[in-house]
Amino acid sequence: MKQLNIRNIFLVLLSVFILNIGSMSVFAQKGKKNKARINVEYVKIMDGEIYFNIKSSARIKKKTVPVSNIELTIYNEIDDDEVELGKAKTNGKGESRFTLKNINAIKADTSNTYNILVSFSGNDSFKKAKKSISFKDANIKAKIITKDSVNYVTAILTNAETKDPIEDQSLTVNVQRLFRPLRIGEEFNDTDEDGAIIVPVEEGIPGVDGNLTFEIVLDDSDDFGTVIAMISGSVGIPITDESTFDQRTMWSPRNKTPVFLLIFPNLIIFGIWGFIVYLVLNLFKLSKSKN
Amino acid sequence: MKNFDTLLKDLAPRKFNKLGVIWTVLLILVIILGILAYIDQLIKGRIVTSMRDYALWGIYISNFVFFVATSFVGTVLVAILRITSKEWRTPLVRIAEVISLACIIMAGITIMIDMARPDRLLNLFIHARLQSPITWDVIIIPTYIVLTFLLLFFPLLPDLAILKKYYYKSKPKLSKWYATFSLNWTGSKAQKAIQEKSIKTVAYLIVPVGFILQTVDAWLFSTTYRVGWSSTNMGAYFISGAFVSGVGVLIAVVYVLRKTYKLEDYITDLHFDKMGRLLVLACLIYLYFNINEYLIPAFTADKEEEAHLNVLFFGKYAPLFWFVIVGGLIIPTIVAIFKKGRKPLPMFIIAILVVLGSWWKRYIIVTPTLLHPYLPIQGVPESWREYFPSIHEWLITAATLAMALLIMTVLFRYLPIIPIQRTADENELLKTDKNTES
Repeated sequence: MKQLNIRNIFLVLLSVFILNIGSMSVFAQKGKKNKARINVEYVKIMDGEIYFNIKSSARIKKKTVPVSNIELTIYNEIDDDEVELGKAKTNGKGESRFTLKNINAIKADTSNTYNILVSFSGNDSFKKAKKSISFKDANIKAKIITKDSVNYVTAILTNAETKDPIEDQSLTVNVQRLFRPLRIGEEFNDTDEDGAIIVPVEEGIPGVDGNLTFEIVLDDSDDFGTVIAMISGSVGIPITDESTFDQRTMWSPRNKTPVFLLIFPNLIIFGIWGFIVYLVLNLFKLSKSKN
Repeated sequence: MKNFDTLLKDLAPRKFNKLGVIWTVLLILVIILGILAYIDQLIKGRIVTSMRDYALWGIYISNFVFFVATSFVGTVLVAILRITSKEWRTPLVRIAEVISLACIIMAGITIMIDMARPDRLLNLFIHARLQSPITWDVIIIPTYIVLTFLLLFFPLLPDLAILKKYYYKSKPKLSKWYATFSLNWTGSKAQKAIQEKSIKTVAYLIVPVGFILQTVDAWLFSTTYRVGWSSTNMGAYFISGAFVSGVGVLIAVVYVLRKTYKLEDYITDLHFDKMGRLLVLACLIYLYFNINEYLIPAFTADKEEEAHLNVLFFGKYAPLFWFVIVGGLIIPTIVAIFKKGRKPLPMFIIAILVVLGSWWKRYIIVTPTLLHPYLPIQGVPESWREYFPSIHEWLITAATLAMALLIMTVLFRYLPIIPIQRTADENELLKTDKNTES
């Protein structure tokens, strides 16, 4: 009787288990797919890289979570045509960067506007999604000037195709620091009718040998995306590089041990072990000198 | 005066009595439990201990420091008394040498236990940086082990030769072992000359090496910028502390051996009197350094020091702290100042107090400081703010202490506790072998 009961209980548990697996797979097939959101930012660094920062996220259980490890295809839309530029995969943070060789790798439409489409074809968990951005190519030319003993950073924002100055765009000017850039001047410096801004450089900003690197940023403009220009000049307070990286210090790796620390402890160590070797040799001598 | 045969009978190693067997079995049981706990620690990692991000040194390091300190007895008592030709040292030297050897071996093993990954031991040599006090420790401990062994072994040679003869008929196998280790000792002039020279060399050498060992141990702490550690007092403080702990252990072990092996004729009240005087001296010096260590920080009292000292003087660690100072130093000093206090039994009792005080002293040097970092403890579980050893740590630590005692027990079982030849020479029992060094 007891055996029967145990067998029955076992069978019931097994059926519940199997049914449960079945219902789970049914649920998985019918499970609602989440909607992935794609965000694309165009970034151009003058005399440097041009790339798209792509971020993918989804709203799941009222929380925004990154969508990682999905493959995205990047297209250049020219009028009605779509030209595939390449593919990118999101990382654990749902981020991806797609770099262009140069601006000539993409083509603008008849209105000198570049149209980029980032497309995700969907998977088991997420529906397909896409995002388009449009931008015009802009340039920033920056230089450092000195007027009445005051240093200024000047910059001119122009349309790369037409060479016309771009008016009424906000530029920020930062000086590069160790952890993050330090803004100088006003929060927003709007370009005038010549597309120019001028920002005074505060006195007393330290830099190695007085060198400061400024970055002039058009940040995420609707028409031109993000454009960054960098310029360096000797307009800071000179500081000497105090790095001890190449020196023999107490905190350097063992190939850069201070010389005194190589000499004296080793003298002591080899001195003591010299005596120990002498004492051990004496043990051999003892065993051989019976008489 | 006893004749040589009686002396030999008294001092030759003897079989364990019933109590000796029980004692040895107990030690082995404790060691087995410790080994099981250690295997578990190896499998699961140091998560089985109570050590976490802040209390990253715990009872293992306290125990290691205690072993290192106690091994100092070989330097202070044996070498210094030998160099200064104090005759009364004779019945005590071998005991001190054995304690030293057992403790320094266990110090080395304890540090490996604390490493949690002993397979990485070789990295300490391969990637050693001479800037690191850890490297100095890695170098000095094996050096001290070798020297302590030589300090024990050279004076032992004549006794091993005597035992070889003594057991030749009754225990031929044992006699063979003694023969092997006596290195063909005949007591010839040439051998004596080499032996004397070697003993002098090792005795002179072990004094600076012992001081270096204790100082390096202290510098492990004082080169770390932490409340209670970052002090120039540390080297001398550790040396004087080692003096106390070493003499304390010596007195306790001497008392037990004297009772067990009935050595009252050889280890007399005079020896306890002398050791008592040494203990008073050691305790007073250590008290002086304790005053330096605690009074000046308390007087200048910056915030971090104040918090640390408050915990020691009035807080969680106050019972331990005051037990160490009063029970482990002041009371033994007061008792041993009086002649009656320097009799064997009172000396044994205060020695036990001193040893307990010495062990806990290392605990309160290590733990409270670690729990008082300069930067606030943030973003960690509440339990990480406290430290009390886990059952694994207790078992493993108990096993290391038991192992030290087992090493001593085994060595005292097979070696003469009191140098036979030297005692005979002093009593002029062997006219032919006068003034043999041991």
